[in-house]
Amino acid sequence: MRFFSLILSALLPLAAAAADDWPIPIEVRKLDNGLTVVVSPDRSAPVVGVSLVYHVGMRLEPRGRTGFAHLFEHLMFQGTPKAPKGVFDKVTSGAGGWNNGSTRPDFTNYIEAVPVAGLETMLWLEADRMKTLDFNPETLKNQQDVVKEEIRVNVKNSPYGGFMWIDINQLAFDKWENNHDGYGSFEDLDRASLDDVRSFHRDFYGPNNAVLSIAGDVTPARAFALAQKYFGGIPKRAVPPRTDFSEALLETPRRLTQPDALAQVPALAAGWRMPDRGSPDQAPMAVLGELLTGGNASTLYQGLVKGREIALGIEGLYGLTSPWEYAGPTLFTVFAMYKPNSNADAVLAAMDEEIAKIAKAGPDTAALQRVKTRMLADWYNGLEGFVERADTLARLQTLWGDAGVARRIPQWIAAVSAADVQRVAARYLAPQRRAAIDRQPQPAAPIAPPAAASGAKP
Amino acid sequence: MKRPLTSSALCAAVAVLALATGPARAAPASDMPPFGADKPLPPLKVVRQTLPNGLQLWVLPRNGPPRVDALLVLRGAGNAADAADRPGQAGLLAEMLSEGTQQRDARALAEAVQALGGNLGAAAAADGMLLSANALASKAEALLKLLAEVARQPSFPEKEVALVRENALQSLKAAQATPGFRADGALQRAIFGDHPYGRTQPTEASINATTAEGLRAEHARRFRPDRALLIVAGRVTPAQVQGWVRAAFGDWKAQGDALPEPPAPAASATPQRLLLERPGSVQATVRLGRPGAPARTPDYVALRLASTVLGGGFTSRINLNLREEKGYTYGASAGARSFRQGGSIVGGADVRNEVTGAALQEFVAEYRRIGSELVPADELTLNKRYLAGTTLLGIQQQAGLVGTLARNWLIGLPPGFLGEFVPRLQRVGAEQVRAMGAKYFAPETQSIVVVGDKAAVAEQLKAFGDFVTPTK
Repeated sequence: MRFFSLILSALLPLAAAAADDWPIPIEVRKLDNGLTVVVSPDRSAPVVGVSLVYHVGMRLEPRGRTGFAHLFEHLMFQGTPKAPKGVFDKVTSGAGGWNNGSTRPDFTNYIEAVPVAGLETMLWLEADRMKTLDFNPETLKNQQDVVKEEIRVNVKNSPYGGFMWIDINQLAFDKWENNHDGYGSFEDLDRASLDDVRSFHRDFYGPNNAVLSIAGDVTPARAFALAQKYFGGIPKRAVPPRTDFSEALLETPRRLTQPDALAQVPALAAGWRMPDRGSPDQAPMAVLGELLTGGNASTLYQGLVKGREIALGIEGLYGLTSPWEYAGPTLFTVFAMYKPNSNADAVLAAMDEEIAKIAKAGPDTAALQRVKTRMLADWYNGLEGFVERADTLARLQTLWGDAGVARRIPQWIAAVSAADVQRVAARYLAPQRRAAIDRQPQPAAPIAPPAAASGAKP
Repeated sequence: MKRPLTSSALCAAVAVLALATGPARAAPASDMPPFGADKPLPPLKVVRQTLPNGLQLWVLPRNGPPRVDALLVLRGAGNAADAADRPGQAGLLAEMLSEGTQQRDARALAEAVQALGGNLGAAAAADGMLLSANALASKAEALLKLLAEVARQPSFPEKEVALVRENALQSLKAAQATPGFRADGALQRAIFGDHPYGRTQPTEASINATTAEGLRAEHARRFRPDRALLIVAGRVTPAQVQGWVRAAFGDWKAQGDALPEPPAPAASATPQRLLLERPGSVQATVRLGRPGAPARTPDYVALRLASTVLGGGFTSRINLNLREEKGYTYGASAGARSFRQGGSIVGGADVRNEVTGAALQEFVAEYRRIGSELVPADELTLNKRYLAGTTLLGIQQQAGLVGTLARNWLIGLPPGFLGEFVPRLQRVGAEQVRAMGAKYFAPETQSIVVVGDKAAVAEQLKAFGDFVTPTK
């Protein structure tokens, strides 16, 4: 929050008509044990979304235990002394809803969408697993197997193997927290012990390291009372100090070519380090990313898929989250499959040319206005679903210390000027700031099966 | 010239979608609170109207986010209308719609949509084509104009057709590198044979045969108001929308006769055993399938419940067995897909090579059990509540509601079906579920497709029949 006061004091009128305003209600309260509770009431449907976000992710997992934060996320569903394995999921289904969890560099989230009759039961279950888990060798082994299958299906047996988020970090960052494979090596996953599980739960899964968020058919008063009832008695726990994983922008470009035993079409990922969270450059960078990669009207789509006709598609990524949801070194990455009669040099040169135009002359004014209009609409769209809204608010509260950021992001977007976009294009997306991986199809070996993993993890 | 509308707007409430399916308890822990009382969904207001040209219009005024959704459903314009030598043509036609109109080139069109804070795209389904669009609420009129322009006046520019063709060939290559795409293609053919429902994936030949002239002809043949439904939802009034739609779609005329409905696909198919080679694959992609049932059948609701118990959602038998007990896979599923004239039964999982046979054995055992044993009462209640609740969750958001209504219409369910679904679900008994299991999931009737490393998995497959490896 250090930097945004300047921008807030200079608000520009919103791009869209007043009819398109949508000030969603947000109420925040902190329990005595440090648990932050966020509520956004909405009675338009008799359902609720619940999100519990813990302020720990891949960056803080133990050394020698790559993939542990994600394995741990799976173990959160494997039972407690009071609610043994299977109960959490069966109760969720019986409530008429679904649940999920995901692990990101800076946080891990647990979400449930249920008809409102199930709200209290789901809160009990979340509180129950915040207290303790059933530290059980059988469920550990079971989920080690399941996670390995997840990695096989998404990485080792899949063309491109997630190189646009796994390998690109390995190339672009120098600190272990930022550059290790968050899915983990099979060796590290197999080494995970019940002691590791106990320590991680104790250190990072206490109420003072978490945000509970509820959106939907509930009043704030009832939501806060339920949070107090089920979570209020959980003692706060000491959280280890966070390591310093900050990294400066790249001064020289990095480049790697990888063979891919499964892919049939070459692909390229180019990543540039984002501004720090809370920097005055963050909103302009978000707008620039959308200008470059947001849909068929975007600059890179028009320049590379159309225009030069060298790419098959253009996709923009912000690590594994969004331009607003990170709290440490993160890449803006452009992923593109390209035509076999082109090459990575041509694709990179084309990207550089399109970026340089913006860095030199600024964006086209009409294009900037269109992009901002769509970003506003997309931001609201992302808050329509109750579980998505609860989760977004919990993430923002966790990373920014303020769920109210959700109401200010539309204003920050509206305030971005052409000069802002020009400035961040020159500063963050200059060629020397770039890490790029060229993924080349490798002819399949005729007889002996090559280790497909060699394609995914060179 | 604007034409008057024929019918007066009739207000068709899609009834109350009550959740209640009886009490559910799943709490072994003494202090876990029980579920509260189920709350009914407020009745959905749908204002329905038919234009003189036959276009049906449903308007759903809502006070949610500042967003309007418009979904134009073209029945008969989907994959079922693709010729035998042009599989996947509906998908290419859908893609080409946004590549230019008589007023705008592709870029101007993309920019116009962006300026509305919106999206506009088309997708092909078995029974039709869906053109979905959304924008900020204040841009509703402009959005409907753009939607009409794309639906009625696509220009199929030669240059864009050539580029789409070229890129589609590369995309096909990329898709064929994934085991799921190959497995699904082989399974569709095993299930539907020569029936057009099996023609969902393009081939190199069908892509190469795509021309601007051919696309224009297909567009004229497939897009007609008397086979179309437009659903509009959001911060709008029915009167506003009716006026805008009259202006944008009122003079749309059908050309020639409507396409005939596709025939019903065969109700059964000879079970096949296919092993598609993927050297070096570290998993086997396993799929089972057979013909299923159309949506308009007395079996529909009971079949959906049986599918849920067996293979729908995280707590299905298949997933709990293969993932949570055995650790064979990241996720396993099975269930029915219903279309207008027929359907399919599809199950599968991606498993590490060494457990391919063991995983298939579990599929066979669970398929047999659902058709031979009664589902216990607790498990049946849990699954009814899951199916009812997730239906409710699926329509919380505007696009989900619009999409659900559109898909139901496309596959031939009555407009009130959404409101009838849960009460009908409540009446399904364990005997009916078992009957559905026996009728549709008998393991002997399933084709099995495996994509994987032959050297690693062929031996394990012998217990399930003689697997054939197609030569391309």
